[in-house]
Amino acid sequence: MKIMGLLAAVLGWLIPVAGLAWTTSSAARLTLCLVGLGMCSVGILGFLNGAHLKHALWKR
Amino acid sequence: MRLCIKLGRRLWVPAILLTVVCGPGGWAQSQSPPAASAQAAPAPKLDAPVTVGEASPPSAEELAKGDPGGSMTGTVNDIAVADAKKGLTLGDAVNQIGQNKVAINFVWTLIAGFLVMFMQAGFALVETGLCRAKNANHTMMMNFMVYGFGLFAYWVCGFAVQMGGVGAMANLGGTAPLSSEFTVNFLGKTWGLFGTHGFFLTQGGTYDVGVMVLFLFQMVFMDTAATIVTGSCAERWKFAAFAISSVFLAAITYPLFANWAWGGGWLSQLGANFGLGHGYCDFAGSGVVHAVGGLTALAVAMIIGPRLGKYSRDGSPNAIPGHDIVLVLAGCFILAFGWFGFNPGSTLGASGNGALRIGSIAVNTMLAGSTGSFGALIYMWIRYGKPDASMSGNGLLAGLVAITAPSGFVNTIGAAIIGLVAGVLVCLSVEFFDRVARVDDPVGAISVHGINGLWGVISVGLFADGSSNYGGAWNGVSGSVRGLFYGDPGQLIAQLIGVVTLLGFVFSLSYVFNLFVDFAVGQRVSAESELEGLDIPEMGALGYPEFVLKVHRDQALIGGIGVAVKAST
Repeated sequence: MKIMGLLAAVLGWLIPVAGLAWTTSSAARLTLCLVGLGMCSVGILGFLNGAHLKHALWKR
Repeated sequence: MRLCIKLGRRLWVPAILLTVVCGPGGWAQSQSPPAASAQAAPAPKLDAPVTVGEASPPSAEELAKGDPGGSMTGTVNDIAVADAKKGLTLGDAVNQIGQNKVAINFVWTLIAGFLVMFMQAGFALVETGLCRAKNANHTMMMNFMVYGFGLFAYWVCGFAVQMGGVGAMANLGGTAPLSSEFTVNFLGKTWGLFGTHGFFLTQGGTYDVGVMVLFLFQMVFMDTAATIVTGSCAERWKFAAFAISSVFLAAITYPLFANWAWGGGWLSQLGANFGLGHGYCDFAGSGVVHAVGGLTALAVAMIIGPRLGKYSRDGSPNAIPGHDIVLVLAGCFILAFGWFGFNPGSTLGASGNGALRIGSIAVNTMLAGSTGSFGALIYMWIRYGKPDASMSGNGLLAGLVAITAPSGFVNTIGAAIIGLVAGVLVCLSVEFFDRVARVDDPVGAISVHGINGLWGVISVGLFADGSSNYGGAWNGVSGSVRGLFYGDPGQLIAQLIGVVTLLGFVFSLSYVFNLFVDFAVGQRVSAESELEGLDIPEMGALGYPEFVLKVHRDQALIGGIGVAVKAST
């Protein structure tokens, strides 16, 4: 789950950057940025943090 | 016949008048030389001697009487002369003008850097005040030593990676040795990745007066990023792990992103390469400094886990109040004072290239801090019925963090709005991380610096008003920075690319490295040490040695307040 989270975060970064070469439309680039932002957030706060909360200190 | 004679007489008067008016004018026109044929006087030679006496300098006898009004101090006699035999020349005077401009910029940048260095004291007070007394020594020491660890790592390689290829900076006299950037060609464009000149501040010809000024200023910014992490991981972070993590942030993580934003790297070139406004714009570092620090803090806080007692078995959070609100708010004032060096100092000068905007930048900074504290105060008052001191302080800091990136590009209305949003945002974010994400952050560093750092980056893309002018261009794109609300959506896209880079690259790199440190050294102290308080186990001395409770008369005193608490529970 941690690896999935990191992967989602890194892809969330690379997709908008690569999108700069795929399209010159401002609307499309903006959309890709928002998609990337969403992927990063889900990766970090969803998968990565979720993996840590699974074995949280207060549950032991 | 008589009619002709009458008409002829009547025409005499206008004829005479026309002759009187036009005659001299026509004669004058025929006499004035044509403008095109005028010859300009030859330009004076710079090595031609200047007659000093014509400037009426004060005599030695006059100077010997003293100069209480200052009218005789600073005259033609003070200009450095290159050739004593030749005397003062026009070239000497022109060189002095250039040197004066650079000297003004040096002094301004250095003093601003000194103010930012003093912010370390502010961070130390805020963090220590928000932690428990049994951890005061340890928390203070982390903030104290991050200066040394960070400076060392930055001198060895961080500065070279960040600024090694930034090129000539006109405000500081050129910085010509900083001319080596490692680049790759990708997608048909050149992408700057990191610099390669300036290791140990001697390699590559970087033993240079302008480079020294730049190093000092950039180093104190880096240290601000490094110290942010100590707040979120306070009360359970091993001192050794903190040291390793700080060195890595100063040597690698921070300089890489800072190169991309400020050192001529690919983020700053998004405008030139892809037509996205002026590329990623971050005037003083909401992203480069605060978001880097805040996201690294999030990564380490996730790995290290919450403090003992922070969450109950059902996951509900418990408040662990700090021990000294006086320290917290005094620290906030010191930070607000130091921010006058952080933002206005980022012009790297007070002469030339739009640097006179330093007053506007300072006012924007003050306004955003104030509206940030208002936003937090009003939110907490409405939500919880009382104005909360620590959140008001965090609101001030959030406003200052958020205005850091746009401070050089927005007007006062924009600054006030950015700060107000930041003040409310920090409260919402603290609640989110505390209750939903369950990431323990004793001082709110993730919310103040991470989340509001990202908000600051985005706000450039919204509120930049196109009225700034720093030498006619920014990041190699001519014109002024303009956000979405002033007609340039490309700028917002460039800022969002910066945001996803912070989240996807900076956070990931920090997380992976600190996971490795956890595996190799261990990030967290033992439960016994944490309960006792880190002062004795980690530092060997109490922060408040006189405030020790003796629980049992027949027990030897072996520790601080933590021992007493443990014995009584």
